Amino acid sequence: MAASPQTLSAPPPAAAAVPNLGGKRKRQPKGKKNKKNKLARSDQDDSVRRRRNKPSAKFLKLLRKRARDYNSDDEDEAGDDRQQEHLPNPQRRVDEDDDEALSHSEPEEGEDEDEEEGASSSAVTRFEQGCRAFRVAFLKIMAKKLPDDPLGPILSAHKTLVAAKLAEEVEEHKPKREARKEKRVAAEKGHVIPKDHLDSKEKELIKVATKGVVRLFNAVSKAQKSRKDLNPSRTKDATVIAKERKNTFLSELEMPSHQDKKRNTSSNFSKHAVKDEDEPAWAPLRDTYMLGSKLKDWDKMKDSSAVSEEKKVPSIDSSDEE
Amino acid sequence: MRQPRSGPGKRRGRGPRIPAATLQKQKTALANVDQITGAKIPKSFVFSRGKLPSTLRHLQQDLRKVMLPYTALNLKEKKRNNLKDFVNVAGPMGVTHFLILSNPQSLPHLRFAKSPQGPTFTFQIEEYSLAADIANSQKRPRCPPGIFKNSPLVVLGGLTGLGNPFRSLVEYFQHMFPSVDPTTVKLATCQRILLLKHDKEKDVIEFRHYSIKLQPVGVSRRIRKLMQNNQVPDLGEFEDVSEFVKKAGYGSESEADDEAAMVSLPSDIDKLNRASRKSAVRLQEIGPRMTMRLVKVEAGLCSGDVLYPWPVEKEVVGKKGTETGEVEGQEDDSEATDESEDEMV
Repeated sequence: MAASPQTLSAPPPAAAAVPNLGGKRKRQPKGKKNKKNKLARSDQDDSVRRRRNKPSAKFLKLLRKRARDYNSDDEDEAGDDRQQEHLPNPQRRVDEDDDEALSHSEPEEGEDEDEEEGASSSAVTRFEQGCRAFRVAFLKIMAKKLPDDPLGPILSAHKTLVAAKLAEEVEEHKPKREARKEKRVAAEKGHVIPKDHLDSKEKELIKVATKGVVRLFNAVSKAQKSRKDLNPSRTKDATVIAKERKNTFLSELEMPSHQDKKRNTSSNFSKHAVKDEDEPAWAPLRDTYMLGSKLKDWDKMKDSSAVSEEKKVPSIDSSDEE
Repeated sequence: MRQPRSGPGKRRGRGPRIPAATLQKQKTALANVDQITGAKIPKSFVFSRGKLPSTLRHLQQDLRKVMLPYTALNLKEKKRNNLKDFVNVAGPMGVTHFLILSNPQSLPHLRFAKSPQGPTFTFQIEEYSLAADIANSQKRPRCPPGIFKNSPLVVLGGLTGLGNPFRSLVEYFQHMFPSVDPTTVKLATCQRILLLKHDKEKDVIEFRHYSIKLQPVGVSRRIRKLMQNNQVPDLGEFEDVSEFVKKAGYGSESEADDEAAMVSLPSDIDKLNRASRKSAVRLQEIGPRMTMRLVKVEAGLCSGDVLYPWPVEKEVVGKKGTETGEVEGQEDDSEATDESEDEMV
């Protein structure tokens, strides 16, 4: 409904455009005066018209340029149909402006047109600025000359720092490792892990130990066999057993006379059942004391003691040599 | 007579002033004295002075096993414990022998000391191997737990005809374990042996610990295994039982032919080793293994006059003076610390 009357009225305003412009110039001061008196909104419209009037020629040129740019972009994107559609748009705008000048009932449409024009201008300027900034940054980056590295240019400035840190860590760990090694070596000094548990040395030692065990076992078997022959039912054997028990009891009481007897009997075996009394510290280490107390009745052992005394001297010399 | 009995009495009694009952006295007396021969049973402590690395701690534990059953297997000491604490605890418990391990800068040291008045023999451990190392080196390690219920036998080799320090050392080693009475001992209880052999050329003492095993002579391998294991053998290959019995085993029986290692037993030990039969003695090492060198002999308990090595020259005397000064300094430091009771498990 609204569109059809506009199209019908299109040729008459286009024909009257030039004389209407002249008419506007003449009539404008009169209209302004009237509006001021009537409404506040009319004042705003007047200010807008003043701005337009002053830079009229320049302003129109700018509008035309922007419109051409806008239309050129649209033309590139769309086909001819859209071009035909967009062509009447500026005419309509111009017509609308004329309508506003002529009729005072449609001020809002003008405001809308101004907003649209501002948005398009700001978008264009922003895009151009972005293009320039990107171009500058790209040129700067490409102008740089970096050394050829397998890791590439990423974090090239920090590579030396990382290498230095790694080197520092390694240097810190070295003394710690050495300290640990020293501790381990000191802890395991003298510790030998045997490869073979039966080498020649060990076999000799086992022979010596076996001889000792065999000797002891044979002695034990002899003693116990002789004891087995005794029978407690017989009187003589009973007295012998009683004597043995008495000797045990008296030895428990620590009688010195029986100690001597036991010592004599025990000397036959490799182990001596000699008791330790609460002797002073220095006494057991005196040769005379030990020999005197043990070997009073043996003349032969004195000679052996003399031989041992003679042997002391070479042992001392050997110790000195060592 | 009174002194040895009053100590244990105090230990068992509720207080020092209240006299213990007669029964308790008798029990303690019997516990400390061999019931047959009447001799005192020597007991021992194995502990360390200073901080030991892990291998030496394992060695300490192995030595405690050697000294079983008359030792404290789980003895724990604190840093603040000094030697007086051990001496005070040892008195009422009847402990008479100390084995002290320490780890100075040069080589680990092992001291054999007699409580409470000494003497002290200090050895330098030149080489040692743990029981675990020796078990790892054997194909079939043998260490049944029952062998530690009785004390080991002691075999001393190469220590006769030497000078005074070694003579007293012989006495010490002989009395470190309870004596063996040939007339009453049971050979079934003799399952361990401790060898201390002196090497005259190197002047070191070898410390070895073996388990004793008796095997009957003249019995084939299959029959012996059958009697020991009580398991039914696999007879699938044989047509008749006689083949199993007659077939000769391929095991190494060369050692059994050694005449020197055979003994005749006075009584039955187990199913195989019977009386009036010959059995072969075989030793297998349990560990630990040590090579020790006698370094110092002191008259007291880690103190007193130094009796070995002999001072000959003035320079040596000067050196000893400095050493004794250092030792005294250490003792002063130890005495300064407060006395605290030792925890016994």
